[in-house]
Amino acid sequence: MKSGKSAQKEHILVCLSSAPSNEHVIRTAARLAKALKAAFTALYVETQDYSVASSENKKRLQQHRLLAERLGAKCEVIYGEDIAYQIAEYARFSEVTRIILGQSRKNRISVFSSPTLEDRLLSYMPDAEIHILPDKDKKNKTYLPRKTLPFTGKGLFLNIFWSLLILLLATLISSCFYQLHFTNANIIMVYILGVLLTSIATSHQIYSLVSSIASVFIFNYLFTVPRFTLNAYETGYPVTFIVMFLTAYITGTFAIRYKEQARQSATIARRYKILLDTSQLLAKASGNQGILNLTAQQIIKLLQRNLVIYTCEDQTLSSPVLFPAEPRKSFPYNQEKEEKVIHWVLANNHLAGASTAHFPDADFLYLSIRVNDRVYGILGIEGTDFPLDSSEYSILLSILGECALALDSEKNARDKEAAAVLAEREQLRATLLRSISHDLRTPLTSISGHASNLLRQGDCFDQKTRQHMLQDIYDDSLWLIELVENLLYATRIEDGRMILNTSTELLSDIIAEAVRHMKPKAEHHQLSFQEEDDFIFVNADTRMILQVLINIIDNALKYTPVGSKIHISSRSVGDMAEICIADNGPGISGAEKEHIFEKFYSGNHSIADNRRSIGLGLFLCKSIVEAHGGTITVADNTPSGAVFSFTLPIKDLSPCQLTAT
Amino acid sequence: MKNYLILVVEDDPPIQHLITTTLKSRDYSFLTAATGEAAIMETASNNPDIILLDLGLPDLDGIEVISRIRSWSNVPIIVLSARSEDSDKIDALDAGADDYLTKPFSVEELLARLRVVQRRLTLMQAENNQPLYENGQLQIDYALRCVKICGEEIRLTPIEYKLLCLLAKNTGKVLTHKYIIQNVWGNPLETDVASLRVFMTTLRRKLEKGSSDIRYIQTHVGIGYQMIRV
Repeated sequence: MKSGKSAQKEHILVCLSSAPSNEHVIRTAARLAKALKAAFTALYVETQDYSVASSENKKRLQQHRLLAERLGAKCEVIYGEDIAYQIAEYARFSEVTRIILGQSRKNRISVFSSPTLEDRLLSYMPDAEIHILPDKDKKNKTYLPRKTLPFTGKGLFLNIFWSLLILLLATLISSCFYQLHFTNANIIMVYILGVLLTSIATSHQIYSLVSSIASVFIFNYLFTVPRFTLNAYETGYPVTFIVMFLTAYITGTFAIRYKEQARQSATIARRYKILLDTSQLLAKASGNQGILNLTAQQIIKLLQRNLVIYTCEDQTLSSPVLFPAEPRKSFPYNQEKEEKVIHWVLANNHLAGASTAHFPDADFLYLSIRVNDRVYGILGIEGTDFPLDSSEYSILLSILGECALALDSEKNARDKEAAAVLAEREQLRATLLRSISHDLRTPLTSISGHASNLLRQGDCFDQKTRQHMLQDIYDDSLWLIELVENLLYATRIEDGRMILNTSTELLSDIIAEAVRHMKPKAEHHQLSFQEEDDFIFVNADTRMILQVLINIIDNALKYTPVGSKIHISSRSVGDMAEICIADNGPGISGAEKEHIFEKFYSGNHSIADNRRSIGLGLFLCKSIVEAHGGTITVADNTPSGAVFSFTLPIKDLSPCQLTAT
Repeated sequence: MKNYLILVVEDDPPIQHLITTTLKSRDYSFLTAATGEAAIMETASNNPDIILLDLGLPDLDGIEVISRIRSWSNVPIIVLSARSEDSDKIDALDAGADDYLTKPFSVEELLARLRVVQRRLTLMQAENNQPLYENGQLQIDYALRCVKICGEEIRLTPIEYKLLCLLAKNTGKVLTHKYIIQNVWGNPLETDVASLRVFMTTLRRKLEKGSSDIRYIQTHVGIGYQMIRV
């Protein structure tokens, strides 16, 4: 019902072709769509003529397609032979309200002219509104799509060879039949079969056409009475000849058509398979590099052209990665020349490069890999002489869309992971603070308690008790000092990494300083230091390494009985410096060794001096050593005791600096 | 023993009390100041022998106090720093301080540093114009350019000799890397701290060859070096 139409949204369809006047048609259609605020689609029906079209036509078609896209059309490609039928079907399915066509040829009312496209379309869709735009170019010349001539190309000789061979065979077989006195009907059949075979074997209609004409003449010459003349006496022969020719021609035409369609179907199937495979493989691919490699491979399978991909992160482009169409065969790529195009594509989110309106003299065609506004990369396809055809282009866009989605979900996964790490770190901090606050209370209670007692009732206590209380206050405060030092270092862990303030230092200097620092505390132990290799320089944060040494020595002092020996040694092992702190105390059990470097682990000891420990010391040592690129281990000492060893990378000072003048 | 007058510049009352009590117990006389300006005033009016200066003063930056005092006086200054980073100490030593202590410090350490400074003061006048330097088993004859350990002469390269003399002339004082490089090489671009360390190590090896346990040159990790009187 016509009235119903005004209520629904307008949908305008324009038909693309390679005719020069098509551009005007597209523009007009776009204007109309804009005025009516209608949905706008551009349709191209790809027939078998497309494959034989000249490259100039192909290019023009591509340009029209791009123009339509730029003007806001959704471009579609349909395959078929009957253009009018295909358009009608599409219009019906997509609820097209108006169809815009260009005038196909000058109207010539004549019995012999076949119906124009418009006529045919009208016959399929009597209700449709069809707008025909007259050709602005007033010349009477009608435009016929120029096909590539079959007389060029390497197929020529092969086709001629096959045609001749088949004709020859047909003639030979017919001669045999003639000798065997078979009827003419059989011979005619043989020739028809020959023409059929020719149309299958050759690549163009013209060969079967020529073969069918040649078959008629050969038949006439060789097998009709009188033989070896081009005369035929029997009355029926002209009809025979005509029928023979027509049969040959029609079967040939259909065979060719069938072959062509089969080929087209195969191509389409292949392309869609590539797209399907891409989806499946992308689901399994991981990592940005993996996704891009996979996408590149699939596109190479589709287009067989050289590719170049730039990845884009936060609007900055990485260096290009080249993907040659043939593996291990690299191709030249002029990056500087292409810079401008690439940045334009990045900024404008639109394809550019070879065979487009923007930067047509670039070597490559560039498209952006994006999801909405987020650009994940830019793909460059080497533009050679012929542009991409519509279906290749559609599939390419689909593949790129999938690729972009895969990259997008990778990014989301990574963001989520980062957020989780952040949350974990915050939790660690909170736990740490809680644990520390808890542990601070005990020594503080002891200090304030003792001090308060001494203040108020100092005289009540005897000298010995007073001394004991003061000693406790002193010990507790020392413990607090050590804790604070460790805490300060623990706060330097940001993002899971330690912020190091490194400088080149002589290892023995650092160790000597640590020993000097600990000497007062090691009154009841024997602390010694021996270096086995001279001149070991390390690139380290000295305060931190000092802390490592202090923590380990402190542990040794705490957990070994009075009078034990604690020996520190250093030597170089390959390109690492190894520092060992060995004691001859009771040692560390196997089970404890596994946990000793963990956070908040404090061992159970039955030694009299049972100091509480927050369990941070060795964990911090491990963090510091590993942040420097070294490793820390604990082993048993012979005959008893423990050996803590850690390594630091040696800084190699180049000889030219060491010339002593 | 001369009764040394020590100026204690510290704004935190408990710490100030701690230091003054310690000094009193060791028979030092002392003055106190809680701000930078007061410190400078006291130095000018009462001429203390040693200044203990806290870097975290409320009104003036400790470095500025040092540079102002140094403009007219060579009084030994020991800085007290709460921060464990090296940059404060290096700046203070470059500005003219003699030594540093990091909080929390033990009072033993404080007293030890004071003694070092005292020794330097008593010997400084006498030493400066003497051609001969003696420190434990180390003997330097400036006139003959000859260095002896335990009576035996040791061979030093010209740079090593310069280093040794610089340290010896400033015995008891902590010299920063920058100071040493500037005074020995002149141009700070000609060498860097890493090379200085190498030179220092070779020098030390030569000095300590005869006497294994005695260390004449003290390393202050990250800061510099100090010749100590054994």
